[in-house]
Amino acid sequence: MPESDRDAKSRPDPDALLALAAQDRRGKLTVFLGAAPGVGKTYAMLTRARRLKQDGVDIVIGLVETHGRSETAALIDGLEILPRRDVNHRGRVLPEFDLDAALARRPKIIVVDELAHSNPADSRHPKRYQDIEELIAAGIDVWTALNIQHLESLSDVVAQIAGVPVRERVPDTVLKRADEVLLVDLPPAELIERLKEGKVYLPDGAKRATDRFFRLGNLTALRELALRRTADRVDDQMVDYLKQNAIEGVWASGERLLVCIGSDPLSEKVVRTASRLAEGLNAPWIVVFIERADRESGDGEDVRRLDETFRLAEQLGAETRRIIGNDFVEEILKLARREHATQIVIGIRRQSFPMRLFRQSLPDALAERVSEVGIHLVTDRETVPVKRKSTGKRTLPPGTGRAVAIAAASVTASTAVGLLLGHFIVLPNISLLYLLAVLASATYAGHISAIAAALFSVLAYNFFFIKPTGTFTIAEPHEVFALVIFLVAAALAGSLASRVREQAKSARQRAAATQALYDFSRKLSGTAKADDVLWAAVTQMQSTLKRSSALLLPEDGDLQLKAAWPPDTELDVTDIMAARWAMDKKEPAGNGTGTLPNSPFHFRPLTSPHGVVGVCGFVQADKPLEINEERALAAILDQTAIAVDRARLSRESLDQAAKLEGERFRAALLSSISHDLRTPLATITGAVTSLRQLGDRMPPESRDDLLQSIEEEGGRLTRFVANLLDMTRIEAGTVNAKRDWVDVADVVRAAVDRARKYFPDREVETSIASDLPLMRGDSVLLGQVLFNLLDNANKYGGDEPISIYARTDGNDIVLSVTDLGKGIPPKDLEQVFEKFFRRGKADGRTPGTGLGLSIAKGFVEAMGGQIKAESPALRRRGTRISMRFPAAKAEISEKDRA
Amino acid sequence: MSVERILVVDDEPQIQRFLKPALSAAGYDVREAMTGAEALKAAATMAPDVVILDLGLPDMDGKEVIANLRGWSQVPIIILSARDRESEKIAALDLGADDYIEKPFGIGELTARIRAALRHRVQMEGGQTQLSADGVAIDTIKRVVTKDGEPVRLTPKEYDLLVMLAHHAGRVVTHKTLLTSVWGVAHGEDLHYLRVFIGQLRGKIERDPADPKIIRTEPGVGYRFVGDEG
Repeated sequence: MPESDRDAKSRPDPDALLALAAQDRRGKLTVFLGAAPGVGKTYAMLTRARRLKQDGVDIVIGLVETHGRSETAALIDGLEILPRRDVNHRGRVLPEFDLDAALARRPKIIVVDELAHSNPADSRHPKRYQDIEELIAAGIDVWTALNIQHLESLSDVVAQIAGVPVRERVPDTVLKRADEVLLVDLPPAELIERLKEGKVYLPDGAKRATDRFFRLGNLTALRELALRRTADRVDDQMVDYLKQNAIEGVWASGERLLVCIGSDPLSEKVVRTASRLAEGLNAPWIVVFIERADRESGDGEDVRRLDETFRLAEQLGAETRRIIGNDFVEEILKLARREHATQIVIGIRRQSFPMRLFRQSLPDALAERVSEVGIHLVTDRETVPVKRKSTGKRTLPPGTGRAVAIAAASVTASTAVGLLLGHFIVLPNISLLYLLAVLASATYAGHISAIAAALFSVLAYNFFFIKPTGTFTIAEPHEVFALVIFLVAAALAGSLASRVREQAKSARQRAAATQALYDFSRKLSGTAKADDVLWAAVTQMQSTLKRSSALLLPEDGDLQLKAAWPPDTELDVTDIMAARWAMDKKEPAGNGTGTLPNSPFHFRPLTSPHGVVGVCGFVQADKPLEINEERALAAILDQTAIAVDRARLSRESLDQAAKLEGERFRAALLSSISHDLRTPLATITGAVTSLRQLGDRMPPESRDDLLQSIEEEGGRLTRFVANLLDMTRIEAGTVNAKRDWVDVADVVRAAVDRARKYFPDREVETSIASDLPLMRGDSVLLGQVLFNLLDNANKYGGDEPISIYARTDGNDIVLSVTDLGKGIPPKDLEQVFEKFFRRGKADGRTPGTGLGLSIAKGFVEAMGGQIKAESPALRRRGTRISMRFPAAKAEISEKDRA
Repeated sequence: MSVERILVVDDEPQIQRFLKPALSAAGYDVREAMTGAEALKAAATMAPDVVILDLGLPDMDGKEVIANLRGWSQVPIIILSARDRESEKIAALDLGADDYIEKPFGIGELTARIRAALRHRVQMEGGQTQLSADGVAIDTIKRVVTKDGEPVRLTPKEYDLLVMLAHHAGRVVTHKTLLTSVWGVAHGEDLHYLRVFIGQLRGKIERDPADPKIIRTEPGVGYRFVGDEG
């Protein structure tokens, strides 16, 4: 043996260690297991609890039914008891276990009696064992009690032993995952004695049933089951211990079971049997259903039964699979090879003799083709016949009337054609016409129509064409033979044709489903916005499932309803809680699940490669999805999850881009401030110090020039600071442009006046149309825009005058500022409105700050106008910046005019 | 006439530092106050002829100072304010301030505003009925307006508007004040009335309506009548 192999063998099994680690974070479950009521489980539990309490352990009573017995009540005395939750159930107030109170109290150990109890309808979980699982998940140790009869895999055996059906059942996995199982044992004879003394509490109504239950034979059998289960567990624990500590042992059974089921009632038994077998072999087991690819899965009842069987298998600890394929045997063998199955379990029904003649049975086919795999057969011999829920006689499948009508019509047509042709030519094989009728019926209306057509044809053929015609009697014996041959041929042809039809129909349905899915995925791939994705998803769900649908995404740490169809769908508190559960626990919740089944909605987590991105829900209202709907939903959910994820990522990358843009802006701002503030400050400081120290030695004109430069630079600083403030407002999105009435001419004049203060030498020509209407806007912002444009034109306009035009153009007011400087090269024309874009040192004058035009653009757009730059403007020179605003009509009532 | 007293309320020492010598040089008696409380106390004791008030004070809102002053005094108040804070200016003017000037300002602008405010005080005392500007004369007793001696035909509303502005000659009048006094409280927000009527009025009284000298626009705030002494 190579070195590494030996190492691997003696090292602890990593899976076993992982399982142990997972157990550490959870609370521990201790089950007090008994064979029957009255053996003293509660008593044992409470005695132990008292002992621990005395040792200072934080142990509380979550729920214990004393049933009025003083013995038990005395034991509870002195222990902390959590308050119960009053639940209104069908008009009665029931004090139920308060899960939230227990979670809030967070004791080290909590005692919750009666593991198999069912909660009232509006509880979070329908079963108490689910409450207990939540407690354990929260890290609280739980002690509970269970009678062996309530164990799911044993329920059929118990029903057989005791002759009483078991209603409240607990999945085997619960007991299997328990960290500690304590068997509370009492010999059956003593138990019967206690019962006679009235020491066993029994509900009044159950007296008669219990008489049958508490028989020595029953109790002995149940006791044996309980003992055996406990012994099995001890064995398992031993094996686990050996695995965890890497001790070589004989545990490795290496068995794997593959269990094949169908939608028939026998499958439930197959699953239970397989579960016991797997338990005995300590082997993992896989339950598989193979769906015929060419056929839609049977009627609603079958689908429901199959779902139930799957659920049962999962509860009993099996892995489940659904496979689509044509060749049962081939698919089973493929799976068996892939999963390294060592045993195959299948159910077998007694078949009628002719069926056995024609068809090789599944076990035979399997046995023929496998060599190393064992095959277990489960027969239906002892199965209790399943009561059909349908009342009265079996109803015909829908559409039967139409199928028969089509058959009758086509046969009538054939007969008519046959009779008509008979007048002109002799048709030796008139039966071929009827074959045509059968084929037509099969093709258009399916196999029922085909059979009907075949029967009608035989009758019509006989009546109209076989001598003596006009009667149903047949004279010649060979005609009888021909008729039989015809019937068989017609039936075969009809069944073939109807099969083709069914296949075509199912292919069409699938094609439609695939097309819908394809359309959906194309719709999704075209939309990057989360809202569009959500709408597409809910509408798709609604159209596929024909149920109200809702999508919830996490936002600000909570789940928010983001889209629903119909759009006014509302979720109440229970629905939201179920959705949250689906999100947090990554499992389905709400209707049809173990969590908050009271909600009409069924919620599924949307799982993407980056985790759960949201929850989708649809109204289930106790009608689970059919298999094809389930398939479509799974595809929709996958697509939606990926699309939501993508939208989230694209939003994040947009945020990132905005952040980068912001950082670039800040960097440009800093460099602008450092340059544009320093230059005027340097000038002012220089001029002032010169005047103070050397002023009396200067000629008056030099002094005046220095003073003037101080004033000018002060003005420049003022404008720069104003621009910075304006730019910051635009960047922060806090420009609240007013919608006041603005007289453009007035604003132009004010802007020109202001500009004259700063550059009095520059000539500005204004030309304003005298009939210029008012506009809606913000006169201060517009004034600032005009001032910036004038300032800009002054910098780049050479020595030529600046002109301002205002006129109407259709329903718009067009306002422009034109300079006659060098103009802007075409390549820069696009960029002039960008922040911090400067046109270089024009004419040796100080360049701009690169803010004026971008502020102008920001303000114009805030007022709902447009701005653009043109160059050259006139005579191949200059730049024109023009703005366009909608004109507004001012209405003044006659009374106010006077 | 005695020397007029000016109370400068500003918490910035730099502003005080240049205002005091400048205004003193212009012939006024200048007192300083750094807070709102100090300002109210000084206004009560020295009875200033004009108050120059910065709206940003450390101890109280400048608008509170105006409201308090207007409770007992009609002294003209000129506000110092930033260019981009029209709403603040308008609120202060509506509370009873007489005029405003934007920071940064030149000393020439400030002394012009002070002169207009002082003149108004004289008008109030004298109840002036003859007003004139750039060749336009208004006689409020005869209700006659002439331009270069020729009568100007004004509608009643145009006349009311002109007189309202002329009574505040040299000082800004807010849109709201004009609208409510001429058209009534219900029209306080109908700015388009003003835009239209001011246009009409300028067409009738200005020498060049495209370059108005008598009625000046104060963007975002209101209008200012520039009288002959302005």
